[in-house]
Amino acid sequence: MKFSIKIGEKEYLIEILEEEEGVKIKVGEKEFFFREEEKFLAKSKIEKKEFKEKKILAPIAGVISDIFVKEGDFIKKGQKLFFLSAMKMENEILSDFEGRVKKIFVNKGESVKKDQTLLIGE
Amino acid sequence: MKILEFEKIDSTQKKAKEIVHQAEPWTVILAKEQTSGYGRKGNFWYSPRGGLYFSIILPKTGIEDVQILTILTAFVVAKILKEDFGLEPLLKLPNDVLVNNKKICGILTENIILGRETKNSIIGIGLNTNVESFPEELKEKATSLRIELQKEVDQKTIFQKILKELKNYFKAIT
Repeated sequence: MKFSIKIGEKEYLIEILEEEEGVKIKVGEKEFFFREEEKFLAKSKIEKKEFKEKKILAPIAGVISDIFVKEGDFIKKGQKLFFLSAMKMENEILSDFEGRVKKIFVNKGESVKKDQTLLIGE
Repeated sequence: MKILEFEKIDSTQKKAKEIVHQAEPWTVILAKEQTSGYGRKGNFWYSPRGGLYFSIILPKTGIEDVQILTILTAFVVAKILKEDFGLEPLLKLPNDVLVNNKKICGILTENIILGRETKNSIIGIGLNTNVESFPEELKEKATSLRIELQKEVDQKTIFQKILKELKNYFKAIT
Protein backbone atom coordinates (compact mmCIF):
# COMPACT_ATOMS: atom_id res chain seq x y z
CA MET A 1 0.00 0.00 0.00
CA LYS A 2 1.38 3.38 -0.98
CA PHE A 3 0.18 6.83 -0.04
CA SER A 4 1.50 10.26 0.55
CA ILE A 5 0.94 12.71 3.37
CA LYS A 6 1.67 16.39 3.44
CA ILE A 7 3.02 17.96 6.60
CA GLY A 8 3.43 21.68 6.23
CA GLU A 9 4.94 22.20 2.79
CA LYS A 10 6.70 18.89 2.70
CA GLU A 11 5.23 15.79 1.14
CA TYR A 12 6.14 12.31 2.35
CA LEU A 13 5.67 9.14 0.41
CA ILE A 14 4.70 6.28 2.66
CA GLU A 15 4.74 2.66 1.71
CA ILE A 16 3.50 -0.16 3.89
CA LEU A 17 4.74 -3.61 3.04
CA GLU A 18 3.52 -6.78 4.69
CA GLU A 19 6.41 -9.18 4.98
CA GLU A 20 6.72 -12.61 6.46
CA GLU A 21 8.33 -11.54 9.78
CA GLY A 22 6.38 -8.34 10.16
CA VAL A 23 5.46 -5.06 8.61
CA LYS A 24 7.82 -2.68 6.89
CA ILE A 25 6.90 0.96 6.69
CA LYS A 26 8.90 3.14 4.34
CA VAL A 27 8.77 6.90 4.85
CA GLY A 28 10.64 8.57 2.03
CA GLU A 29 14.07 7.00 2.14
CA LYS A 30 13.74 5.74 5.74
CA GLU A 31 12.56 2.26 6.59
CA PHE A 32 10.88 1.13 9.81
CA PHE A 33 10.44 -2.52 10.48
CA PHE A 34 7.86 -3.86 12.96
CA ARG A 35 8.20 -7.46 13.94
CA GLU A 36 5.20 -9.66 14.56
CA GLU A 37 5.27 -9.63 18.40
CA GLU A 38 5.44 -5.84 18.52
CA LYS A 39 2.42 -5.65 16.31
CA PHE A 40 0.65 -8.00 18.68
CA LEU A 41 1.66 -5.92 21.68
CA ALA A 42 0.37 -2.76 20.13
CA LYS A 43 -2.90 -4.46 19.28
CA SER A 44 -3.46 -5.83 22.79
CA LYS A 45 -2.89 -2.39 24.30
CA ILE A 46 -5.62 -0.89 22.18
CA GLU A 47 -8.03 -3.65 23.08
CA LYS A 48 -7.40 -3.15 26.78
CA LYS A 49 -8.30 0.50 26.49
CA GLU A 50 -11.41 -0.16 24.48
CA PHE A 51 -12.71 -2.74 26.91
CA LYS A 52 -11.84 -0.97 30.13
CA GLU A 53 -14.21 -2.26 32.74
CA LYS A 54 -16.92 0.16 33.72
CA LYS A 55 -17.09 -0.84 37.31
CA ILE A 56 -17.30 0.97 40.65
CA LEU A 57 -15.83 -0.71 43.71
CA ALA A 58 -16.04 0.24 47.36
CA PRO A 59 -12.83 2.15 48.12
CA ILE A 60 -13.14 1.33 51.81
CA ALA A 61 -15.42 -0.77 54.03
CA GLY A 62 -18.56 1.01 55.22
CA VAL A 63 -22.28 1.46 54.81
CA ILE A 64 -23.98 2.73 51.67
CA SER A 65 -25.89 5.68 53.07
CA ASP A 66 -27.31 6.94 49.79
CA ILE A 67 -27.63 5.96 46.12
CA PHE A 68 -28.14 8.67 43.53
CA VAL A 69 -28.63 6.64 40.33
CA LYS A 70 -30.69 3.68 39.20
CA GLU A 71 -30.23 0.90 36.69
CA GLY A 72 -30.65 2.10 33.13
CA ASP A 73 -29.58 5.67 33.92
CA PHE A 74 -27.06 7.31 31.66
CA ILE A 75 -24.23 8.67 33.77
CA LYS A 76 -21.44 11.10 33.09
CA LYS A 77 -17.89 11.07 34.34
CA GLY A 78 -17.77 12.86 37.68
CA GLN A 79 -21.45 12.24 38.46
CA LYS A 80 -22.32 11.45 42.07
CA LEU A 81 -23.25 7.77 42.50
CA PHE A 82 -23.07 6.79 46.17
CA PHE A 83 -22.51 8.05 49.67
CA LEU A 84 -20.46 5.60 51.64
CA SER A 85 -20.17 6.15 55.38
CA ALA A 86 -17.05 4.56 56.73
CA MET A 87 -16.34 4.49 60.42
CA LYS A 88 -14.48 7.77 60.43
CA MET A 89 -15.37 9.35 57.13
CA GLU A 90 -18.13 10.24 54.74
CA ASN A 91 -17.25 9.36 51.16
CA GLU A 92 -18.83 10.71 48.02
CA ILE A 93 -18.23 8.26 45.19
CA LEU A 94 -18.28 9.69 41.68
CA SER A 95 -18.28 7.84 38.39
CA ASP A 96 -14.98 7.55 36.53
CA PHE A 97 -16.69 6.61 33.29
CA GLU A 98 -19.47 7.68 31.00
CA GLY A 99 -22.12 5.15 30.09
CA ARG A 100 -25.27 3.42 31.18
CA VAL A 101 -25.77 1.84 34.60
CA LYS A 102 -26.13 -1.87 33.89
CA LYS A 103 -26.49 -3.16 37.42
CA ILE A 104 -26.36 -1.86 40.98
CA PHE A 105 -25.37 -4.53 43.48
CA VAL A 106 -26.13 -2.74 46.75
CA ASN A 107 -29.06 -1.21 48.56
CA LYS A 108 -29.25 1.85 50.75
CA GLY A 109 -28.18 0.95 54.29
CA GLU A 110 -26.18 -2.08 53.23
CA SER A 111 -22.71 -2.79 54.61
CA VAL A 112 -19.99 -3.29 52.05
CA LYS A 113 -16.44 -4.59 52.18
CA LYS A 114 -13.45 -2.92 50.61
CA ASP A 115 -13.26 -3.64 46.87
CA GLN A 116 -16.81 -4.99 46.75
CA THR A 117 -18.48 -4.25 43.41
CA LEU A 118 -21.12 -1.58 43.82
CA LEU A 119 -22.09 -0.91 40.24
CA ILE A 120 -21.26 -1.95 36.72
CA GLY A 121 -21.85 0.09 33.65
CA GLU A 122 -21.79 -0.49 29.92
CA MET B 1 -1.34 27.93 53.74
CA LYS B 2 -4.29 30.07 52.78
CA ILE B 3 -6.95 30.90 55.34
CA LEU B 4 -10.33 32.13 54.15
CA GLU B 5 -12.12 33.70 57.07
CA PHE B 6 -15.84 34.31 57.30
CA GLU B 7 -17.86 36.19 59.91
CA LYS B 8 -20.84 33.95 59.26
CA ILE B 9 -21.31 31.05 56.87
CA ASP B 10 -23.78 28.23 56.35
CA SER B 11 -21.08 25.58 56.73
CA THR B 12 -17.30 25.66 56.38
CA GLN B 13 -17.42 22.08 55.14
CA LYS B 14 -19.95 22.95 52.44
CA LYS B 15 -17.85 25.94 51.36
CA ALA B 16 -14.72 23.79 51.22
CA LYS B 17 -16.52 21.28 49.00
CA GLU B 18 -17.60 24.09 46.68
CA ILE B 19 -14.10 25.44 46.15
CA VAL B 20 -12.12 22.22 46.47
CA HIS B 21 -11.45 21.89 42.73
CA GLN B 22 -9.75 25.25 42.46
CA ALA B 23 -8.22 25.46 45.91
CA GLU B 24 -4.62 24.86 46.89
CA PRO B 25 -3.95 22.07 49.37
CA TRP B 26 -4.04 23.25 52.98
CA THR B 27 -6.55 25.97 52.20
CA VAL B 28 -8.58 26.48 55.37
CA ILE B 29 -12.12 27.80 55.63
CA LEU B 30 -12.62 29.42 59.02
CA ALA B 31 -15.86 30.86 60.34
CA LYS B 32 -16.89 32.65 63.51
CA GLU B 33 -20.40 31.32 63.20
CA GLN B 34 -22.20 28.64 61.15
CA THR B 35 -25.89 28.63 60.41
CA SER B 36 -26.01 25.04 59.08
CA GLY B 37 -22.97 23.36 60.59
CA TYR B 38 -23.14 19.61 60.27
CA GLY B 39 -21.38 16.49 61.46
CA ARG B 40 -21.46 12.87 60.44
CA LYS B 41 -24.60 11.64 58.71
CA GLY B 42 -25.62 15.25 58.24
CA ASN B 43 -26.31 15.74 61.96
CA PHE B 44 -26.66 19.37 62.96
CA TRP B 45 -23.70 20.94 64.75
CA TYR B 46 -24.65 23.83 66.99
CA SER B 47 -22.26 26.59 65.88
CA PRO B 48 -22.90 29.95 67.56
CA ARG B 49 -20.38 32.77 67.79
CA GLY B 50 -17.62 31.85 70.23
CA GLY B 51 -16.79 28.44 68.82
CA LEU B 52 -14.00 27.45 66.49
CA TYR B 53 -15.24 26.08 63.17
CA PHE B 54 -12.96 25.25 60.29
CA SER B 55 -12.46 22.90 57.36
CA ILE B 56 -9.11 21.97 55.86
CA ILE B 57 -8.61 20.99 52.23
CA LEU B 58 -5.96 18.30 52.36
CA PRO B 59 -3.34 17.51 49.74
CA LYS B 60 -4.22 14.55 47.58
CA THR B 61 -3.41 11.27 49.26
CA GLY B 62 -4.70 7.73 49.75
CA ILE B 63 -7.94 7.10 51.61
CA GLU B 64 -6.16 5.11 54.34
CA ASP B 65 -3.87 8.06 55.06
CA VAL B 66 -6.89 10.33 55.41
CA GLN B 67 -8.48 7.86 57.80
CA ILE B 68 -5.38 7.86 60.00
CA LEU B 69 -5.23 11.65 59.88
CA THR B 70 -8.86 11.85 61.04
CA ILE B 71 -8.06 9.81 64.13
CA LEU B 72 -4.96 11.90 64.70
CA THR B 73 -7.04 15.09 64.51
CA ALA B 74 -9.12 13.92 67.46
CA PHE B 75 -5.90 13.02 69.24
CA VAL B 76 -4.34 16.44 68.55
CA VAL B 77 -7.40 18.24 69.94
CA ALA B 78 -7.50 16.01 73.01
CA LYS B 79 -3.79 16.57 73.60
CA ILE B 80 -4.22 20.36 73.52
CA LEU B 81 -7.18 20.17 75.91
CA LYS B 82 -5.15 18.09 78.33
CA GLU B 83 -1.73 19.66 78.10
CA ASP B 84 -2.67 23.31 77.69
CA PHE B 85 -5.86 23.45 79.72
CA GLY B 86 -5.57 20.59 82.20
CA LEU B 87 -8.85 18.97 81.12
CA GLU B 88 -9.41 15.21 81.02
CA PRO B 89 -10.62 14.57 77.49
CA LEU B 90 -11.94 11.26 76.25
CA LEU B 91 -11.70 10.22 72.63
CA LYS B 92 -14.94 8.70 71.52
CA LEU B 93 -14.61 6.87 68.26
CA PRO B 94 -15.32 7.54 65.53
CA ASN B 95 -14.75 11.26 65.78
CA ASP B 96 -15.70 12.99 68.97
CA VAL B 97 -13.81 14.41 71.88
CA LEU B 98 -15.65 14.47 75.18
CA VAL B 99 -15.01 16.26 78.45
CA ASN B 100 -16.98 15.19 81.51
CA ASN B 101 -19.00 12.94 79.22
CA LYS B 102 -20.14 15.86 77.08
CA LYS B 103 -19.16 16.59 73.52
CA ILE B 104 -16.63 19.39 73.18
CA CYS B 105 -15.30 18.69 69.68
CA GLY B 106 -16.54 16.93 66.57
CA ILE B 107 -14.52 15.96 63.52
CA LEU B 108 -15.91 15.18 60.11
CA THR B 109 -13.87 13.96 57.20
CA GLU B 110 -15.32 13.85 53.74
CA ASN B 111 -13.67 12.30 50.71
CA ILE B 112 -14.57 12.76 47.08
CA ILE B 113 -13.63 9.63 45.19
CA LEU B 114 -13.60 9.36 41.43
CA GLY B 115 -13.88 5.65 40.68
CA ARG B 116 -11.02 4.32 42.77
CA GLU B 117 -8.99 7.47 43.07
CA THR B 118 -9.34 9.78 46.07
CA LYS B 119 -9.64 13.19 44.46
CA ASN B 120 -10.20 15.44 47.44
CA SER B 121 -10.34 15.13 51.18
CA ILE B 122 -11.65 17.68 53.63
CA ILE B 123 -11.39 17.54 57.40
CA GLY B 124 -13.86 19.65 59.31
CA ILE B 125 -13.42 20.52 62.97
CA GLY B 126 -15.95 22.02 65.32
CA LEU B 127 -14.48 22.88 68.69
CA ASN B 128 -16.59 24.47 71.39
CA THR B 129 -14.09 27.00 72.69
CA ASN B 130 -15.82 30.13 73.97
CA VAL B 131 -19.43 29.03 73.56
CA GLU B 132 -21.08 30.51 76.64
CA SER B 133 -24.07 28.21 76.89
CA PHE B 134 -26.06 25.61 75.01
CA PRO B 135 -29.79 25.36 74.34
CA GLU B 136 -31.79 23.23 76.77
CA GLU B 137 -31.81 20.11 74.54
CA LEU B 138 -28.01 20.13 74.28
CA LYS B 139 -27.10 21.07 77.84
CA GLU B 140 -26.56 17.49 78.95
CA LYS B 141 -24.74 16.50 75.76
CA ALA B 142 -22.42 19.37 74.94
CA THR B 143 -19.88 21.51 76.69
CA SER B 144 -17.23 24.10 75.89
CA LEU B 145 -13.84 25.17 77.17
CA ARG B 146 -15.49 28.35 78.45
CA ILE B 147 -17.97 26.33 80.52
CA GLU B 148 -15.41 23.84 81.82
CA LEU B 149 -12.74 26.42 82.68
CA GLN B 150 -15.01 29.30 83.62
CA LYS B 151 -12.93 31.63 81.47
CA GLU B 152 -12.33 32.63 77.86
CA VAL B 153 -9.57 30.93 75.88
CA ASP B 154 -7.40 32.23 73.06
CA GLN B 155 -8.96 30.70 69.96
CA LYS B 156 -6.25 31.82 67.58
CA THR B 157 -3.51 29.97 69.44
CA ILE B 158 -5.57 26.78 69.54
CA PHE B 159 -6.41 27.07 65.85
CA GLN B 160 -2.77 27.58 64.84
CA LYS B 161 -1.60 24.77 67.06
CA ILE B 162 -4.08 22.28 65.58
CA LEU B 163 -3.04 23.22 62.04
CA LYS B 164 0.64 22.98 62.81
CA GLU B 165 0.34 19.58 64.44
CA LEU B 166 -1.84 18.23 61.64
CA LYS B 167 0.64 19.34 59.01
CA ASN B 168 3.41 17.56 60.86
CA TYR B 169 1.40 14.37 61.23
CA PHE B 170 0.41 14.51 57.58
CA LYS B 171 4.06 14.68 56.58
CA ALA B 172 4.88 11.79 58.89
CA ILE B 173 2.22 9.43 57.59
CA THR B 174 2.32 10.12 53.85
